[in-house]
Amino acid sequence: MIYAIIGLVFGIIGGILTPGFVPKVYAPYFSVALMAGLDTAFGGLRAAMEGDYDNVVFLSGFLVNIMLSVFFCYAGIMMDIDFYMVVILVLGMRIFNNLAIIRRLYLKK
Amino acid sequence: MITAINKHTRILIFLVCIILGFMITMQLKSHNQYQNLAVQRAEDLTVRLKEVQEDRDKLVKELDEYRAGRISGAAKKEMDALKARAGETEMEGKGIVFTLDDSKQAAKAGENKNLYIIHDDDLLRVVNELRSAGAEAISLNGQRLIGSSEIRCVGPTVLVNERRLAAPFVISAIGNPQTLESSLKLRGGVIENFKFWGIKADIVQSDKVRIPAFKGKRTFEFAKMVTEEEKKEDNKESVQAAENKKETAGKTQAQDNKVTADAGKEQPADRQNNAGGGAQ
Repeated sequence: MIYAIIGLVFGIIGGILTPGFVPKVYAPYFSVALMAGLDTAFGGLRAAMEGDYDNVVFLSGFLVNIMLSVFFCYAGIMMDIDFYMVVILVLGMRIFNNLAIIRRLYLKK
Repeated sequence: MITAINKHTRILIFLVCIILGFMITMQLKSHNQYQNLAVQRAEDLTVRLKEVQEDRDKLVKELDEYRAGRISGAAKKEMDALKARAGETEMEGKGIVFTLDDSKQAAKAGENKNLYIIHDDDLLRVVNELRSAGAEAISLNGQRLIGSSEIRCVGPTVLVNERRLAAPFVISAIGNPQTLESSLKLRGGVIENFKFWGIKADIVQSDKVRIPAFKGKRTFEFAKMVTEEEKKEDNKESVQAAENKKETAGKTQAQDNKVTADAGKEQPADRQNNAGGGAQ
């Protein structure tokens, strides 16, 4: 847990120190990728609490989810459908779901 | 709570969290940036516009002062005359005010809607007619028309002196009111054509038509003045060039003939054909 928090702090500092920002054209892709990353992180936390955490599953989930969500977003923009809304909705629901389970696991202990 | 944590897992979680933190901050930063950009741009532009306008007014004043100090007597008179001819001064006199507005008739099924709207070529025809009837100064919606003024459709508006104008169009002209009015009302002329499509055309004769000065930019970027000495040299050269040309003249003439013949073929027809390619 402590590693996660240290990592987050490092990442935030790195982000603040990095000059420039994401161009507006890529904003939907970036936000969707962020949602996918958050989803996987919470999923990993939940798995760790349930006791079936696996390195490979976690890493592959992190990368593949990000890439898939970005691809979905891209396909949606190509087809003029607001696909990224759908992606964000689903990922948001999953994040809430994971958080609920994490909360329950905490309470049970 | 997390038991059996090994080295790989720690590094992995550490890296993933770095990426997540980085993405979160970038996202927040970008979001703020977008909002700021939109507001900043508008603010910057209004401030810049004000500054530039103040600068311009100051410089115009300065220029007037220098001119008043330097030039006097006959030279000033001549300069004023030239200025008036170039459209740099406000003019007043007898003339007409001609108002044009888009047709209120609905287009019949299958008919081109563009036919019921005023286009650049309609305005050009009116202006041309007025000029041929001896109009001395013409303005279109407050824009003075001078030699270099364009009249051109840009989307739903018309570009004149690099400014966008929209219907209704008010064309003021100074000249003999009777001549101007009758030139527009000629049989088969401008107004008759407009009436057919329901475009509203309205002429008012007036003893006091006021036409503003030209306010656009007027600089030469490519053209240079030719001095008297250069003219003489050019004459000598052109005599030589003419002799050289005689040899190739036969060829070029043949080509010229071909070009004019081609141009003759695609003469643009009436409004009906033109309007299809109109701006809207």
